[in-house]
Amino acid sequence: MKRDKTAVLLFREDPRDEHHPEKMAELLGLAEAAGYRVLAEISQRRGRDRRFQLGRGKIVEAASLSPEKLIFNEPLSPGQIFNIGKEFEVAAMDRFNLILEIFASRASSREAKLQVELARLSYEAPFVRTIESLNKLSERPGYRGSGSYDVSMYRDIRGRMTKIRAELKAVEETGERRRERRRKLGFDLVALAGYTNAGKSTLFNRLALETVAAKDQPFTTLSPTTRAVAAKERRFLLTDTVGFIDDLPLFLIKAFRSTLAEIVEADLVLLVVDLSDPPEILRERLASCHEALWDCGCYSPIVSVLNKMDRICSDEAEERAEMIRDLTPNPVFISAREGRGLEGLLDLIAEKLPPMEEFLVHLPSSEEGMGQLSRLYDVALPMEVKYGEEIEVLLRGRREIVARALKGREYPDLSPSQPPAGG
Amino acid sequence: MVSASVAARISPEGIERTRWIRLVPLVAESVEMEVVIKLIEDSVRGLSGVVLAEKGDLYNLARWRVESILGREFKYPESRGERRAMELAHHASFAGRKLVLRLMEEGLGSGVLKRAGGA
Repeated sequence: MKRDKTAVLLFREDPRDEHHPEKMAELLGLAEAAGYRVLAEISQRRGRDRRFQLGRGKIVEAASLSPEKLIFNEPLSPGQIFNIGKEFEVAAMDRFNLILEIFASRASSREAKLQVELARLSYEAPFVRTIESLNKLSERPGYRGSGSYDVSMYRDIRGRMTKIRAELKAVEETGERRRERRRKLGFDLVALAGYTNAGKSTLFNRLALETVAAKDQPFTTLSPTTRAVAAKERRFLLTDTVGFIDDLPLFLIKAFRSTLAEIVEADLVLLVVDLSDPPEILRERLASCHEALWDCGCYSPIVSVLNKMDRICSDEAEERAEMIRDLTPNPVFISAREGRGLEGLLDLIAEKLPPMEEFLVHLPSSEEGMGQLSRLYDVALPMEVKYGEEIEVLLRGRREIVARALKGREYPDLSPSQPPAGG
Repeated sequence: MVSASVAARISPEGIERTRWIRLVPLVAESVEMEVVIKLIEDSVRGLSGVVLAEKGDLYNLARWRVESILGREFKYPESRGERRAMELAHHASFAGRKLVLRLMEEGLGSGVLKRAGGA
């Protein structure tokens, strides 16, 4: 029989800060998502202890329950992990490491596995270096003459990180080429972004009529999935991405750069918000999403999708939406689970995507002209076609895509049907 | 040091309109809280609206504490638009600092600089 993994959660509240019970609840959710059975939750209001993060008494209390792991909400320094392990003989980890553990257990694609490994190594490298130097202290008299064992592990980690970065760069370039190809085919790119467990995958399944895994737990999605969706006359590719979390460490953002590139390169970002969260958490989580979007360099327009309307009444939803108005551009209320409000969302997506221009194109009445017309049907929206000595096509589309479809012609007759006013 | 204040209308996604940018140069022996608060007060004097500043600039003080010291509405940047405005202020203050240093090198800076505490 498989043995349960057990853990005790430890949470330190700064004496100057307000009480935040939801942060402990989030840590509990993460621990459960990583497969831990939580034996106890211990919190202490005090300043940071240099040696153990919390006071010695609290660590003794936690260790007396004989858990497999002590999970701290606050980041632990390499020295603190070393001290806790040595003094209390129990392994300690912090929130970042817990997130990495969830990522490692869920990573299925080659890309996700490499990203998780890079994130783990970036996180562990300074720890290894510190622990090596701490171990070295006791060997100081002779360590210079004892070979290279004491520095080789750190050096190996750095080497492996360089190798993974090179592999991920290749993956990133492939992704860039893929997105470029999709744009050439006339698709706009739309990405789903938002706090973890906000309902991105459920919305993706609703819009794309798909069945990707969507569960009520954090970090169900790690690798991006893309499907074609139509909104009014616009066709776009919708990508489901990994969720954000509060205090997302920079090394994690860097490691998941190729996945986050799907958001950065999108023509429009759907920022999914769980409106059923309590107002103060809602605001904090939205601010985290804005921070993550800013950190990964996303400047695309945003449509705020206020999800989970099925969990609250409409008056309450209106009230909460008003409270977060300064963080939610172009808001739209939906319930992805019940499929409510999706028409409004699709209309707003079509409205906010880069506008299509109108063109009047003249093609020769020949086999070649018919071929070009066929290509135009694939990548643009022909509204009127007149067959005469020439084929006259009135169409809507993006300039570069229409130009590309007519590439075979020596002098493509491409002129906007309504030239812009002014000189 | 040079403090830049940017008066702008902000949407959640970006800056909608920049009304003006004010640069306040100051010489101080140390960057203590009173000096920073005085600098912010000088920079935003006569401007209405919410004051935005980086957390690090105010030694990570809680928002309510800064509000009570400044005596007006204050917040740390949250949305992408607010971050963009902060970025603009950073660029402006950096450029202003470079300008002041150049003026000082040319011996023209004394007229622009004010010493903290009015000394």
